[in-house]
Amino acid sequence: MSQSHDDIIRRRIGDLLAGGLETQTEPFPETEKEFASILDQLRELPPDDLEGKLVISGLVDHPYGEEQQRCLECMYYLVHRKWCDLPELAVPVEAEWWCRLWRI
Amino acid sequence: MANILWLQGGACSGNTMSFLNAEEPSACDLVTDFGMNILWHPSLGMELGDNLQQMLRDCVSGKIKLDIFVFEGTVVNAPNGTGEWNRFAGRPMKEWVRELSDAADFVVAIGDCATWGGIPATAPNPSDSQGLQFLKRDHGGFLGKDFKAKSGLPVINIPGCPAHPDWVTQILVAVATGRAGDLTLDDFQRPKTFFQSFTQTGCTRNMHFAYKVSATEFGQRKGCLFYDLGCRGPMTHSPCNRILWNRVSSKTRAGMPCLGCTEPEFPFFDLAPGTVFKTQTVMGVPKDMPEGVDKKGYIKLTGAAKAAAPAWVEQDIFVV
Repeated sequence: MSQSHDDIIRRRIGDLLAGGLETQTEPFPETEKEFASILDQLRELPPDDLEGKLVISGLVDHPYGEEQQRCLECMYYLVHRKWCDLPELAVPVEAEWWCRLWRI
Repeated sequence: MANILWLQGGACSGNTMSFLNAEEPSACDLVTDFGMNILWHPSLGMELGDNLQQMLRDCVSGKIKLDIFVFEGTVVNAPNGTGEWNRFAGRPMKEWVRELSDAADFVVAIGDCATWGGIPATAPNPSDSQGLQFLKRDHGGFLGKDFKAKSGLPVINIPGCPAHPDWVTQILVAVATGRAGDLTLDDFQRPKTFFQSFTQTGCTRNMHFAYKVSATEFGQRKGCLFYDLGCRGPMTHSPCNRILWNRVSSKTRAGMPCLGCTEPEFPFFDLAPGTVFKTQTVMGVPKDMPEGVDKKGYIKLTGAAKAAAPAWVEQDIFVV
């Protein structure tokens, strides 16, 4: 996927979130079972259902929670590509965003 | 000439297979180059029936000097402490183990089952299995925590599922050639020469660990397996990335997470569904940190490492 294509998708996601798209930030998966259940929901989506991915993952366009967690610290985040490398999500993101699949 | 006797309790023969594949030195080298006499071994022994029983009795009585008693597999105590579920040479194996351990100059436990019970001793432990001197982390096991072989050393534990073949043969050579005094053992009676460093020591993914880039699928050549796929390399003591398997590779080099098989808790989390090949987290933070690292320090380090990560670390650098 080219850098420009990633940029276009990232902008589109940013616009959706800025436009008020409500995503499921809660509940945060406290256990592996809960985490796996969210992944299962993501796997059931059609591959091109971008909005569905954003909603189920709980993506937001700002740091989140008491500790102000961000994609930047998440282990799935590729800094230079600005990309979420979690196979079930696999979307371009910004470092200051966050979702409930955040892991460190 | 050092006499070696190798018996097998509750086991899958994995450590025997490993031993027979040893290269430096090989099982044959033990005999031809290091003067060892393998009295009996489950896959190599010639004696059967009455002859074997007589040999074992002679080892117990001292008629045959028993220099090294090697045990593979668990000591099976079921049912009801009798050990009848694992009979060998006319009686429960556990009775031979007790008497032969008392008769031997050195006792060596090979593999997780013999060292701390391994998979057979995982809850609910239906065979009532024990390791020779440990049951998981509890010191004691079948022989008791105060057991010492005639040499004055406790059981020498060489864990692993299986143990690397060269860990086995190199320790046997050290003991058989009178260099047992050079061995220092850790708190779990493992030779420090093999078990002081971590599985991660020498791992080709250390750069990805440092810059917090994760592998997300088996077999990926980029990324560290610790963050998502449950790799226990940073908190497991073994030389798997220093003394390579088949001389060429290791689990982590091949993209397979370390399962921590040289540690007493193996298999971790009693193999509960969802715990294998998945890093266990609490609110997104790993339950088990690399040894000596606390949660706050880990989070700070992650932020700094991510911020400092170079672009190449996100790519596959092991190109063909």
